[in-house]
Amino acid sequence: MIPAILRAQWLSMRISRLASGRRGAVFTGIVAVIWYGFWTLLAVVAEELTAAPELRSHIETWLPVGLLAVFGYWQLAPLASATMGASLDLRKLLIYPVPRRSLFLVEILLRVTTCAELLLLLTGAAIGLLRNPAFGAWRSIGRVPLAVVLFAAFNLMLAAGLRNLIERLLSRRGIREVMALLLMLVGVLPRLLIVTGVGGRRIEHAFPAAANPIWPWGAAARCMLGLAAGARPLPAAAVLAAWTLAAYLFGRWQFVRSLRYDFQEAQATVVSAKDRPWTDGLYRLPSFVLPDPLAAIVEKELRSLVRTPRFRLVFVMGFSFGLVVWLPMMLRGRVTHSAVSGNFLAVVSLYALFLLAQVTYGNAFGFDRSAAQLYYAAPVALSRVLAGKNIAAAIFIFLEVAAVSAACSVLRLGISAGQIGEAFLVTAIAALYLLGVGNVSSVNYPRPMRAQRVSAGGAAGRAQGLLFLLYPIALLPVFLAYLARYAFDNRIIFYAILAFAAALGVAIYWMAMESAVATAGKRRETILAELSRGEGPMVAE
Amino acid sequence: MTDSAPAIAVHNLRKLYGDKAAVDGVDLAVPRGCFFGFLGPNGAGKSTTIRMLTGLIPPSSGSIELLGMPLAERELEIKRRIGLVPDESLLFDRLTGAEFLEFVGRMYGLARPMAVERAQSLLELFELREKRKLIAEYSKGMRKRLAMAASLIHHPDLFLMDEPFEGVDAVGARLMKDILLDQVRRGATIFLTSHVLEVVERLCDRVAIIDHGKIVREGSMDELRGGTESLEDVFVRVVGAGHEFHELEWLK
Repeated sequence: MIPAILRAQWLSMRISRLASGRRGAVFTGIVAVIWYGFWTLLAVVAEELTAAPELRSHIETWLPVGLLAVFGYWQLAPLASATMGASLDLRKLLIYPVPRRSLFLVEILLRVTTCAELLLLLTGAAIGLLRNPAFGAWRSIGRVPLAVVLFAAFNLMLAAGLRNLIERLLSRRGIREVMALLLMLVGVLPRLLIVTGVGGRRIEHAFPAAANPIWPWGAAARCMLGLAAGARPLPAAAVLAAWTLAAYLFGRWQFVRSLRYDFQEAQATVVSAKDRPWTDGLYRLPSFVLPDPLAAIVEKELRSLVRTPRFRLVFVMGFSFGLVVWLPMMLRGRVTHSAVSGNFLAVVSLYALFLLAQVTYGNAFGFDRSAAQLYYAAPVALSRVLAGKNIAAAIFIFLEVAAVSAACSVLRLGISAGQIGEAFLVTAIAALYLLGVGNVSSVNYPRPMRAQRVSAGGAAGRAQGLLFLLYPIALLPVFLAYLARYAFDNRIIFYAILAFAAALGVAIYWMAMESAVATAGKRRETILAELSRGEGPMVAE
Repeated sequence: MTDSAPAIAVHNLRKLYGDKAAVDGVDLAVPRGCFFGFLGPNGAGKSTTIRMLTGLIPPSSGSIELLGMPLAERELEIKRRIGLVPDESLLFDRLTGAEFLEFVGRMYGLARPMAVERAQSLLELFELREKRKLIAEYSKGMRKRLAMAASLIHHPDLFLMDEPFEGVDAVGARLMKDILLDQVRRGATIFLTSHVLEVVERLCDRVAIIDHGKIVREGSMDELRGGTESLEDVFVRVVGAGHEFHELEWLK
């Protein structure tokens, strides 16, 4: 049955690949080469470091910390990016007489989709240790692979369990945004505490405690380092095996609970405008300044996106995650006066701008799905449709900046009115470039998104890849302006460069719009087919 | 543009997917004020034809004139006068029925107050009274009724409908039929596909049957039935449905 599920998924994905053609495949290949090339490079560095006998004491100290970092990335990165990778679509599979253990096995294997890079890294470190005479070199051929396999299995099964648990929690109307915020805070709290000095020493002492073999990363490190490091590998392997078993039981338990869970019931929503008449007035605001059909499109986008769980989750993450990630740097920078501390608000706003891409401008028709055909059927130019969607995205982008500014004020971070204005300005300029790129990616790599699925189905991988590659380029004009300000200590030069960047941004946005509209006309059949397509037995990211 | 020109005039229309012709040299002329049934077995090319007529997909070759105007050259003008009920949902799930209808009205050029007023009337007419319910929570029948309401809001001259009665209960279907007949009486043209042959038989003046991308029969209802046969008999005879399931021993 597992081969049948995998084959069905492969065939489902094949339709998408055929629709995107050779160009899409080449682009996917380039993005994959860059991403995995980077991680392969890291794996090679890890291999070189762990293979050096003279670094023995450093390896003994840092391997458990490194494995703790791997564990953290493995479990938290899918949350941070709001993309939890592929998973089984249980609604489609429950009707078949497939044993639960088979489904669970596929679910675990699918966790590899979010952490293949970590397997590369672990493999690199393992090969290095196998070459290192200080740790027994090839005599450790038994224990090093065993430790890596057990540690990977532990992480895979824990990730499977956490994914199911988090998805159920996030599916509950009303608490998903709070849950997302709490999960992120939990993830970055230790770092925040260290940097702010609150309980700093105790936290710093907690890192050496990571080497304690009672923890899975500590046990894995001891097992990998072996007797030569003075540790006893067998008990460490037993501890690691126990953790792996516990992760299996947890993962299986959560999986079974998800099988019985009624996501539809949890997500049932009945909107009552009577309860919130003021929101209806807010949605209608664009109609006061914009003509139809532009105003109608903006209004529709605002209403739809606000009611879309996945969008709301990313929106909350946009400012909260940005704050908690960059806040430590900002606080540290108070002492050193770094570029981040001086421009904290702008940095967080630009991060939020990037994060919003996957649910707004990077895949503008994603939530419309097959309904996007209305834009082709209605007597409206596609440039208006894209412009309307861009305006709605811009409104949310500015709301993000406003939310970040408000949070900074509440936290008394000493953000001035000038800095707030500057954050709005640079975000607007960067948005011109990114909205242009987003329009091009929306018509070249459209992909249907599920509104209620908070953990999967973001912008197409290629669209995200394109934005990921172009994001630094899009920020370059703004970056140059800041560079000039620091180099010349002159605000006039700063604003002059920003003005030039804005003019260039308008030109690029206009050209990108022309290109997107032409492509949307030429590829209308492919775009609508892609947005209307059903999914296979898995929800692929 | 002339009012005497057919509502739909299609000449040698073809749509190729690789080597396969989904629509293969279709010629059609649908007079104005006609209730036209477009029939065919699954995969015959009905939906592809409608999608080409609405401009959702481009034809590989051939010409399309709607309401006396060439579709390729006067697309926006034509679209303003077409009401569409496609086979796939064109509803935005995260809007309420009222919000969606208002949105569609404004997309077709109605002023907002008029769009709001018509939306409310249509929701009443189609008994979609839970005005604040999101479309995502609509049943299949409710979605079809809403799609039908959306096709009416701008008072079009030509309706293109792909399986409009699919999933609609008897009361809803009756209402929709009455509305469509009323639209024909005021001079609108309806081009409709349906697998429910009794409905087509009762409503349509003219019928065309498409099979393997080609028109295999076309004429008035009386011409097709020849006086004695039902439309279903004609349809089954023309498209040649087989009954090979008797040959499957294991199914017995």
